[in-house]
Amino acid sequence: MEAPTRSIRIVLADDHTVMRGGLRLLLERQSNLQVVGEASNGREAVELAASEQPDVVVMDIAMPHLNGVEATRQIVSRSPDIAVVILSMHSDESYVIRSLKAGARAYLLKDSAEADLIAAIHAITEGKSFFSPAVRRILKEDYVHQLHEMGAEDSYELLTNREREVLQLVAEGKSNKEVANLLSLSVYTVETHRTHILQKLNLHSVPDLILYAVRKGIIS
Amino acid sequence: MSCRLRFSDGKMAIGPLRGGRRLLLAGFGGLLALMLVAGADAVLVLRQVRSSDAQIRDSYLRRSRALSQVRSGIYQSAIVMRDYLLSEDHAVARAQVEKWTAIRRETDRALRESAAALDPVEAEPLQSLEAEVQDYWRLLEAVSQTPDAQGQHRASFLSGELVRRRTAMLSLIDRIDQISTRELSSGDTQLNITFDRLQLRIGLMLGATLSAGLMLAAFTIWRTLRLESELEKRFEEGVRARQELKELSARLVSAQEEERRAISRELHDEVGQSLSALLMEAGNAAASVSTDSAEVRRHVESIKRLAEASVNVIRNMTLLLRPSMLDDFGLVPALEWQAREVSKRTGMRVQVAAEETAALSDEHKTCIYRVVQEALHNCARHAQARSVKVLVRQEPSKILLSVEDDGRGFDAVRTRGLGLVGMEERVNHLGGTFLVDSFPGRGTTVAAELPVVI
Repeated sequence: MEAPTRSIRIVLADDHTVMRGGLRLLLERQSNLQVVGEASNGREAVELAASEQPDVVVMDIAMPHLNGVEATRQIVSRSPDIAVVILSMHSDESYVIRSLKAGARAYLLKDSAEADLIAAIHAITEGKSFFSPAVRRILKEDYVHQLHEMGAEDSYELLTNREREVLQLVAEGKSNKEVANLLSLSVYTVETHRTHILQKLNLHSVPDLILYAVRKGIIS
Repeated sequence: MSCRLRFSDGKMAIGPLRGGRRLLLAGFGGLLALMLVAGADAVLVLRQVRSSDAQIRDSYLRRSRALSQVRSGIYQSAIVMRDYLLSEDHAVARAQVEKWTAIRRETDRALRESAAALDPVEAEPLQSLEAEVQDYWRLLEAVSQTPDAQGQHRASFLSGELVRRRTAMLSLIDRIDQISTRELSSGDTQLNITFDRLQLRIGLMLGATLSAGLMLAAFTIWRTLRLESELEKRFEEGVRARQELKELSARLVSAQEEERRAISRELHDEVGQSLSALLMEAGNAAASVSTDSAEVRRHVESIKRLAEASVNVIRNMTLLLRPSMLDDFGLVPALEWQAREVSKRTGMRVQVAAEETAALSDEHKTCIYRVVQEALHNCARHAQARSVKVLVRQEPSKILLSVEDDGRGFDAVRTRGLGLVGMEERVNHLGGTFLVDSFPGRGTTVAAELPVVI
């Protein structure tokens, strides 16, 4: 039997005690997941994240004092290694985009928490992004709808094969160096590819890129 | 409540005003009647005076004429009698007698006439005159019938009887003349008295008419002033009532907004979260029971499906009541969400060009959001538009907002639905201006300008 790797340390942030209790139960059934703290509002979450330095913070958006998006921004800017999973009732893209821009790596709807949370935590600890199927569907639908409305060309066609590879890897959360290693390129070349991709797709940041990839169905 | 009380006060004030109108009409009618009566009376009296004056003068003239005839008859008959007595020729004497008879007839007639024209009170001197005249006639008759009277009686008759009687008669006539003159002057006096009375009457009438007119004028002025002040009061009441109504509707709108926000939040934060927790607990429960209990697993799955459906319902209800992005992220994400939703639901193309506006108050955000929401609703429901442009632009001291569609338009001057009125009210409440530009067949633009203090 393989020796267990170091367990993943998790902080829960939700203003509902029942919800937190349920989540704790759900997570602790997994042997390698460990809940190290619970916060009932955004401010507490920021403090706990700072003191506990967990691997993952599971964060609700609608919380008193400081909402989940702002708390995520503060946590990630202080400790970029902490991966934040947003667990929210909101399915609209404005919440998804803002969460991603604030530094969250995964976005789950609460009604799919039971099914997706474990998978999401594993994905983000590996550096990937994760979205609830429902969220993915909404983002994609909206995107297709908007494309259709604007009558715009699908800019994905403008990308070269190499750029598409880079796009997928970056969207999955790989750093420039990791991408370079995987594709046997220099970090500088990867950097150039990234710039081109952003220009061609008219995007401005990595969260935009991730969102684009989700909408296009490149990553899940 | 206070409004209703004031209105009923106003209604009660109408009663006396109606009475006043009747009084005023009666007053004017009365004044007119008074003036007519006074005029008619004056004309009547004047005519009476004139006719009685003419009558008095006429009867005086007749009297004097008759008396002077009597007088001249007496003189003439004396002369004729003298001529008769003095005449030698018998035929000439006869002619004189005939002449005298004619004179006597004439004189008698004149006597009767003057008697008729004289006041019966003054009849006594006339009766004596009549008696004297009859005596005189008898005397003359006797003389004329006596044969050879010329010779025998001439001297004595002429010097005595005839002259004496004639003198007496003439003095009687003078007396009657005096009476007649007196009667004339008394008629004049009577006339003067009547005139004075008429003057007094006209004066009184004039006074009465004038004072009635003055009273009427005073009443009219008082009434006009009262009506004016009443009108002013009513107007002020109207203005105040409208103001109150506006404030009330604004309060209603903000209360409704607050209520929606509270319900939305409650639904989302409490009901939604609890359902999510329920879902998870159901999952946990399923995981804890022995894996071969298919029955339990099926029930748990059913619970989860129900809870999931409920969460979705709650989510949609929450957003429809008040989109949470409006409070969480601000106006633009909320507008974009709204545009996406409308677009998805109706197939209408909705473009939003909105700048992220700095530090907008909650009231402003809500106002703009609701105006756009209502406008989009109209575009989809009434205008049958294919594409809509929503524009929100921030300028130094104001926010410009417009929603422009390519729908069928309507007559913006004549038609104004409740939706437009509501939008306008929201905008006006924040001191902004609201504009609807539309024409059948040319699309609709709803625009608003909101002042902002930053």
